[in-house]
Amino acid sequence: MSDVPSIVVDKLVKRFGTFIAVNQVSFQIRAGEIFGLLGPNGSGKSTIIRMLCGLLSPSSGSATVVEFDVARQAEEVRRHIGYMSQKFSLYNDLTAIENLQFFGGLYGVKGRALDERIAWAIKMSGLSGSEQLLTGELSGGWKQRLALGCAVLHRPQVLFLDEPTAGVDPLSRRQFWELIHQMSREGVTILVTTHYMDEAEYCNRLALINQGLVVEMGTPTEIKQTAIRGDLLLIECSPLGGGLAAIKQAPGVLEASVFGAALHVVISPGRQPVTELPAFLAAHDVRVGRIEPISPSLEDAFVSLTGSRALSSEPSR
Amino acid sequence: MFDRIWCMIVKEFLQLRRDKYARFRLLVPPIIQMLVYGYAATFEVNRVQIAVIDFDHSQESRDLLSRFAFTGRFEVAKVLSNEQELKSLIGRSSIPMALKIEPGFAELLRKGQTAHLQVIVDGTNSNTALIAVGYVNQIANQFSQDYARDRLNQLAPAIAATVPQISLEQRPWYNPDLNSQWFFVPGVIGSITLMMVVTLTAFAIVREREIGTLEQIMVTPIRPFELILGKTIPFFVVGLADVLLVAVVGTLWFQVPFRGNPLVLLLGVVLFLLSTLNVGLLISTLSSTQQQAFVLGFFFLNPAFTLSGFAFPITSMPKAMQMITYADPLRYFLVILRGTFLKGVGLDVLWPQMLALALLTSVLLLISVARFRKSID
Amino acid sequence: MSRKEFTQIRRDPHSLIILLFLPLIQILLLGYGARLDANHIPVYVLDQEGSQDSQALLKAFQASPYFDVIKVVNDYHALVRAIDADQCKLGIVIPWNFSERLDDAGRTSVQAIVDGTDDNSAQLAEGYAQAVVATYASNVQLDWFARYGLSQQATSPLSVDYRTWFNEDLESKNFIIPGTVALVMALMGALLSSLTIAREWERGTMEQLIATPVTALEIMVGKLVPYLGIGLVDAALCAVFAVGWFGVPFRGGLGAFFLTTILFLIVILGIGYMISVATKSQLGASQYALLVTLLPTSMLSGFAFPIDQMPAPIRAITYLVYSRYYVSALKRIFLSGAGINDLVPEIVAMTIYALVIGSFATRAFHKSLQ
Repeated sequence: MSDVPSIVVDKLVKRFGTFIAVNQVSFQIRAGEIFGLLGPNGSGKSTIIRMLCGLLSPSSGSATVVEFDVARQAEEVRRHIGYMSQKFSLYNDLTAIENLQFFGGLYGVKGRALDERIAWAIKMSGLSGSEQLLTGELSGGWKQRLALGCAVLHRPQVLFLDEPTAGVDPLSRRQFWELIHQMSREGVTILVTTHYMDEAEYCNRLALINQGLVVEMGTPTEIKQTAIRGDLLLIECSPLGGGLAAIKQAPGVLEASVFGAALHVVISPGRQPVTELPAFLAAHDVRVGRIEPISPSLEDAFVSLTGSRALSSEPSR
Repeated sequence: MFDRIWCMIVKEFLQLRRDKYARFRLLVPPIIQMLVYGYAATFEVNRVQIAVIDFDHSQESRDLLSRFAFTGRFEVAKVLSNEQELKSLIGRSSIPMALKIEPGFAELLRKGQTAHLQVIVDGTNSNTALIAVGYVNQIANQFSQDYARDRLNQLAPAIAATVPQISLEQRPWYNPDLNSQWFFVPGVIGSITLMMVVTLTAFAIVREREIGTLEQIMVTPIRPFELILGKTIPFFVVGLADVLLVAVVGTLWFQVPFRGNPLVLLLGVVLFLLSTLNVGLLISTLSSTQQQAFVLGFFFLNPAFTLSGFAFPITSMPKAMQMITYADPLRYFLVILRGTFLKGVGLDVLWPQMLALALLTSVLLLISVARFRKSID
Repeated sequence: MSRKEFTQIRRDPHSLIILLFLPLIQILLLGYGARLDANHIPVYVLDQEGSQDSQALLKAFQASPYFDVIKVVNDYHALVRAIDADQCKLGIVIPWNFSERLDDAGRTSVQAIVDGTDDNSAQLAEGYAQAVVATYASNVQLDWFARYGLSQQATSPLSVDYRTWFNEDLESKNFIIPGTVALVMALMGALLSSLTIAREWERGTMEQLIATPVTALEIMVGKLVPYLGIGLVDAALCAVFAVGWFGVPFRGGLGAFFLTTILFLIVILGIGYMISVATKSQLGASQYALLVTLLPTSMLSGFAFPIDQMPAPIRAITYLVYSRYYVSALKRIFLSGAGINDLVPEIVAMTIYALVIGSFATRAFHKSLQ
């Protein structure tokens, strides 16, 4: 990774009528970095990406990609970026090869170079031998990698991925991220939007987005450490709902929420939870099972920062 | 630039080839329209079924009625014998007209007075009725003249030869047999192309928007006008093919003559296709789903077709409606089509239509492109 | 089932507006646009003689309500150019020796050059021109007879009395508009059924319905009944419009009107339903097919083009075209004052159609559930 900023976003704003979708967002991404925009649906992350691609024009603020201004030099920007949309927009009635030829042609990749890139893309997607299949007949994982291939035929310096693994099985997802890391090592800057926690962990840096605002920014570790202003405990109890209501009133408890079948509770540092809390809960007719300290996950961080539970965690973890 | 456009054209044709229904959609409509307008739609009035009822039974009445029987225009389907039968026939059967001769017919004629032929017309199909009336008048007129002349010959042979008679010689131009097919079939070239190009273009673009590939294309270095060209050129080709198909079938099968300059027609075709492509484009910028494209397309095509002068003459419409037709590209193209096929006229006569099409195209293009840019946002 | 559909429709104002206004717009359009009458036919007159007699003939044409004498020219080329360029549809040529020949030999002829491109207008124009000349000739003869003391003699011994039943002014709108009601209903029906089916499948609620104990027939009927209702409202609107706005007479029975409309709608909705079910994945294809084939085939229903003038094989085909019966029934109801008894053949035919289509549609629906 170099220190040259590949993407610079400065106080970017997008308004749709009176609704502010993106509110003074600023960040910088270095070349070769994998940067994630993490947030729930409707938080504005897709809007940010589309502005950076030149698909939407900003209401105010500015952004440059590889030193080209997205508002005024949109065409140059597009020559140097690749984009994979949420829906992996490929033509279902064309074969894999035909899709690649089409997008390659649009990017101006021709002749021998195109053949090589197509061959690479086929291999990378694991479609060797299935090139002539209609894209509509491929399953999610293959389509996803094919879409990625279509987006990078011209070897762009920057890659924008909008929810690239939505609806794809976990194994394919992992393979996909290996490809992404490979590209990052080759110096490609990658901006990903996602609402999956585990994917966010793959990124070099993250920006947590909620309701159009950047809530927090940093490496995954940094975020996890700084977001929680205390110690995190996992408490199994029953009834769960009753336990939640009760524990919020317990002394020293800063936050509490339900995570799966247990409670995650933030307490001020220095308290003695193991001794105090069970008694407190028992006094409120709540039976306590396990209590143990856990290290915060990104989801904990997000909940803490925004007070909302709109993100989803990977169930198969 | 051309590479990118070529890329898009190749893709469009690939998709067309893969589409199972494409062949159906491209061939069936022109064939159906040609069949319907070539054979079913006709304004000609022949073998009109009439009923006759003769209360006079004289030589003169028989003479008059036989003239109707002998012409190809009419066919005496029924000879009635009383009024009741008449009432139950007209309006309740398919016989649109009845001729009635009252008793005393021949007597009036022989006295040199005016005798009457009564014609009862079923106005339910007024168009046929009107035209049939014209023919009845012709036959009656002829009878009148013949009878008057014979009478004069008997009464005053010396002056009979100099009775003034004015006849009207009808000379139909361009379509001497007044063949409905010659009127409709060239028109079908326009109507079918209008419908197909507008709907195909609109649907094709909207479909890309629906599945998301439009967005994917927009992030490539392609410029908006290249995209538009890439999407519309394939349908320009399809439109051209349709024109050729119907023109060939029209001239070979229906024997519609082509008397004009093919190059003039070609210019008209190109201008017309451009305007219809732009209409399709405009519709696509106004719709985000195929459903909407369908409704909008319908809203445009229906009046465009009905008011274009394809079947119903524009001059018969109220002025307000006539104003609307100025925005209809089909209106101008029909004039060009009929002009080159039947009339054999050239640019010196047709330039206003060409100009109008060019203007219409430009205006539509400007609006569509402006909307297209906005619709990406 | 129907209640659900009704509430869904009410919540979708867009569709509602379309459903109610579309037929009105159609009727307006076709009512004004689909006219076959020829009035104000543009005429150029080439008067090669310029005598008192020829002027009189010219005036006769100017006086006729069917013609608009736009220009009087004095050379043949101007006339040719005018007809070529669509500036007139009829050119009258009065020869240079018009009155001369009348005085000498007693016979002369006037030429009517008619633009035959539109054969319908041409025939009408010819007919009217013939009438004008005949009247003029008759007057000339009367004068001539008077000179020779034969004023008792009739110049036109035969006079034709016309009595028109059902459409006294012989205005094309009166016979076209009832037919257009049928056309509009066909379009509405097709639109309606394709809309509803498409929506259901897209939302996936169809599959939920299947899981309930409701039978296929009930689902289908429940879905279509509200649209039947809307269709009837539309038909009533059209009829009111036809009578109130265009002045088309309505002499027949309301019962006949509604019965035939219901039968027609059942057939239309059923067909539209079948098409939508069959091509639910190819939405564009089905709608496109509807759009492009409905318009021309409606021409076979007899709404504008008389069926008895069509060649025999086509006439045979029209027996299959379901709108034919509805159009014929409508015309009779509006103009001839037909009631249910008079329309037995049409009603029988339409009932057969409704039953056949109904069973096909149910079967199609069954299949689509698998």
